[in-house]
Amino acid sequence: MATSGYLSDFSLPELFQFIEQGRKTGLLTIRPGERADASDEHFIWLHQGQIVACSERTDHRGLVSLISERGWLNQHSAVKLGDRCPVGTPIGLCLKSHGVLSAEQLQLLFRTQLRQGVFALFDAVQGAFELDTGVVLPMVEMTGLSLRATEATLLGLRGLRDWSPLADKLPHAGFALVRKQRGQPTLRLDALETQVWELIDRDTSLQAIARQLHQPVDLIQRVAFRLIACDLAEEVPMVEALPEPPPSPRRPVVASDEPDGRQAAVSQSFLKNLVGFLRSKL
Amino acid sequence: MSEIMRLVVTGTVGAGKSTFIRTISEIEAVDTDRAATDETALLKRRTTVAFDFGRLRFSPEMVLHLYGTPGQERFDFMWDLLIRKAHAYILLVAAHRPREFRAARRVLNFMEHRVEIPMIVGITHCDCPGAWSTENIALALGYDEERERPPMVTLDANQPAEVMGALIVLLEHLLSRVMAAC
Repeated sequence: MATSGYLSDFSLPELFQFIEQGRKTGLLTIRPGERADASDEHFIWLHQGQIVACSERTDHRGLVSLISERGWLNQHSAVKLGDRCPVGTPIGLCLKSHGVLSAEQLQLLFRTQLRQGVFALFDAVQGAFELDTGVVLPMVEMTGLSLRATEATLLGLRGLRDWSPLADKLPHAGFALVRKQRGQPTLRLDALETQVWELIDRDTSLQAIARQLHQPVDLIQRVAFRLIACDLAEEVPMVEALPEPPPSPRRPVVASDEPDGRQAAVSQSFLKNLVGFLRSKL
Repeated sequence: MSEIMRLVVTGTVGAGKSTFIRTISEIEAVDTDRAATDETALLKRRTTVAFDFGRLRFSPEMVLHLYGTPGQERFDFMWDLLIRKAHAYILLVAAHRPREFRAARRVLNFMEHRVEIPMIVGITHCDCPGAWSTENIALALGYDEERERPPMVTLDANQPAEVMGALIVLLEHLLSRVMAAC
């Protein structure tokens, strides 16, 4: 089944977070740009929420092209060897087992795939996406390596220069963050991310964190967005401080029923009666 | 004196909060920016803050009050006041507006860090082009574990039967909690 939309509505960081949380397997197609046409398509293959390959080609020759461009093996030989790979084995692992490629070469290939096919996309202001979870993964495009989708976000956003497309996604400076993980973060954070992570507290706004770290608040908002997009933290709105209204002599309709300010519980009979009433109307 | 249950209807812009209240309310739902009644005027402390109010009296001594949170995403004292007095709430999310999913998540975070009351998620606009599936909306709201999800229902806020159906789900959810506590 396919899920589709526009990056202006659901940004790439949100999409990657969604993919990882849902442990999605399939093909993510991105068509960047205002026209979002099929002439410029980026394909990202996913397995259980991890990125396993990416390419801009539809002929499944992306990885073998990268290999041949580096002079490690010509395309013809790579394809021929690939045909002899056991079913369900990524070609990268297969070539490694044949002694054709080393682990370092595979890592370089995967990093190149990511740089060209994923990280560059974080700059896309507009574009369309489609996530198809009904496709078979192309072993011929896969090195056998993978990267968590949210880790790709972290790396991609660190290099992002123009944040204007994400401006309305950034957490409000008056909001706080809460950690979603106990202990150390599961992703490797940079220095500023670590500092923000350590100051996260549900009673501390991003503005206060910025003051404490002597950093501009927009920079802290971006770091906070990265932590949120990587599922390390959640934003929690704080109640805006407003001047107290003048005391009213009349009892508000939602006035406290109990001394601690909480509502009195509704009775079972109330709930049963209301359910019965509603059922009678159906 | 009547027993009152207070239900908060919250959600993202255009998800159908006002419609939901209008559909179920026995009185003409009140937008407090336009007309403040005796009941709502005392709640409303600033004229710039609006919320919807509806009522359903189903027996001489029992009445359901429905409060819609302000449409704008400003988490001020009004939100705080509404949810701290609420017995339960429903979060409405428009399935065809993925742009708003993050805002819905923010509302959830706000609620979950302030109150521990039963809630359900109501998915609206499911028949609109580009509507996401309930499963995918659950993920976008941060519910990756199915067993940790609240009840999720799809509904058309204009249809009384569907609004009542959603209310029944919420009430039964609340009832199960009440009974478990006994």
